[in-house]
Amino acid sequence: MVKKIVILVIFTSLLQAENIYEKNCIPCHRRLPTSLQQMYMAYLASYSGEKNVKTILRYYLKHPTQSLSAMSELFTDSYGIKEPTTLSNEKLDKAIDIYWEKFKVFDKLE
Amino acid sequence: MSVLKNKATNSLLKSEKASLLRFFILYVTMSSVLLMLLALFYYQTQEKLFLAHQRATLTKYAYIQTKRLKVLHHYFSERKVYPRDERFKSAIYDIDRKKIFSLLEDERIRFHEDIYISDNHIHFVKSLDVYFLGAKYMVLEIKDDGAWRTEIWQSIMWYAILAFILFLLFGLYLTKLFLKPMRDSIVLLDRFIKDTTHELNTPLSAILANIEMMDTDVMVEKNKKKLMRINIAAKTVSTLYKDLTYLTLEQEKANNDEILNLKHIILDRVEYFDILAKSKNLSFKLKLDEANIVMDRRKFVRVLDNLISNAIKYNVRGGSIEIELREGYLFVKDSGIGIAEEQIPFMFDRYMRFNQNEGGFGVGLSIVKKIIEEYEMKIEVFSKEKVGTKMVILW
Repeated sequence: MVKKIVILVIFTSLLQAENIYEKNCIPCHRRLPTSLQQMYMAYLASYSGEKNVKTILRYYLKHPTQSLSAMSELFTDSYGIKEPTTLSNEKLDKAIDIYWEKFKVFDKLE
Repeated sequence: MSVLKNKATNSLLKSEKASLLRFFILYVTMSSVLLMLLALFYYQTQEKLFLAHQRATLTKYAYIQTKRLKVLHHYFSERKVYPRDERFKSAIYDIDRKKIFSLLEDERIRFHEDIYISDNHIHFVKSLDVYFLGAKYMVLEIKDDGAWRTEIWQSIMWYAILAFILFLLFGLYLTKLFLKPMRDSIVLLDRFIKDTTHELNTPLSAILANIEMMDTDVMVEKNKKKLMRINIAAKTVSTLYKDLTYLTLEQEKANNDEILNLKHIILDRVEYFDILAKSKNLSFKLKLDEANIVMDRRKFVRVLDNLISNAIKYNVRGGSIEIELREGYLFVKDSGIGIAEEQIPFMFDRYMRFNQNEGGFGVGLSIVKKIIEEYEMKIEVFSKEKVGTKMVILW
């Protein structure tokens, strides 16, 4: 019984967390020609490790500028730079964690 | 300067041998260490050269693999198969050195080295400028069969053996130079002795013959004592003279071996030395069985004379000299000053004298040793300071 409750709690929290990413990231990016995965790969190619990528994403989402963006100038000139995020630090970290887990290269190569 | 040499001076003294051995061990050790260092330096240079060749090849492979990673990076949503190549194995690591994917057999990576040999593999670590798939490091691995290493060590061994032989020859030359001053001094001393002994023969023979012919019955006691002293002095000089002539002239002569009755000879020599023994109030204790040996009489007498003469010379006043003979065994024991244990190995060296108070050249025991060795006999020395010395001859 206890095991079932624990699983339920974890599942619910994950679902809730996923909502943070889906609610706050996907709607805006859906309108852009470059997918979130392509952007992920662009950040990965520029910053390599998990810690680096997450740090730069967190900073960029809070203080977005052209110099921090992994996207080209042509892209930002066409679609502009996003507004700074209004999410709390905790929610932002959760959203970035979900983003990393969703597109990470680790364990996916054959 | 031209100096005469004889067989005796051509053989090495024990002290010379010890110096020579110490020098040679030091020289060989130094040469070996030098050769090992050179071999190590040569090996490291060759290894670097080998790795330089491998680096060129692996850089080419790394370039090809980077291109493949680039393609995979851009089409990652559609393709997930890591690019493989039969010529090498590879792996990619992120900036935190966390493994992204690896096909390597040996995954112990030294990220701070660009190329190195690990067991049977050569690893080439390439740092990427653009982190395709998040890879900061790309590691390429090829098999190392070690054939190059065997080849290098073989050539090192050949060169080392050749160099060692050259060093050895040079060492022998150095040793000769090292010993030359010592050898020259010995040869000079030999020459001096040879020249002077020759001049001693006639007067000494005349003195001894005249002493024997003198009628002591008609002499007053005072003159008898004086004559006895002359006799002792003449016999001492005679023993020394015989040793020196043996060393410089007689030892080269062919042996005249015969069956010797040792008991008779010992009794004869004891009688000869009796007057010398009495001058120090020494008493002979003899225990003589019948014993024979096949030997040159002249040489046995030299051995015996030297042992008895030493037993008298280094004895204390009023002491004793024991002589025991049985088949294959003879000893001469004195109750004298003895000799320190650490000096025993050197007492047979030529010109070696441990007691400067007594006369002599220090040649007696070197003659004994030479004769003993010539007849394949054995000599053992037991000595204790202030107790005495026992010289044992076995055959």
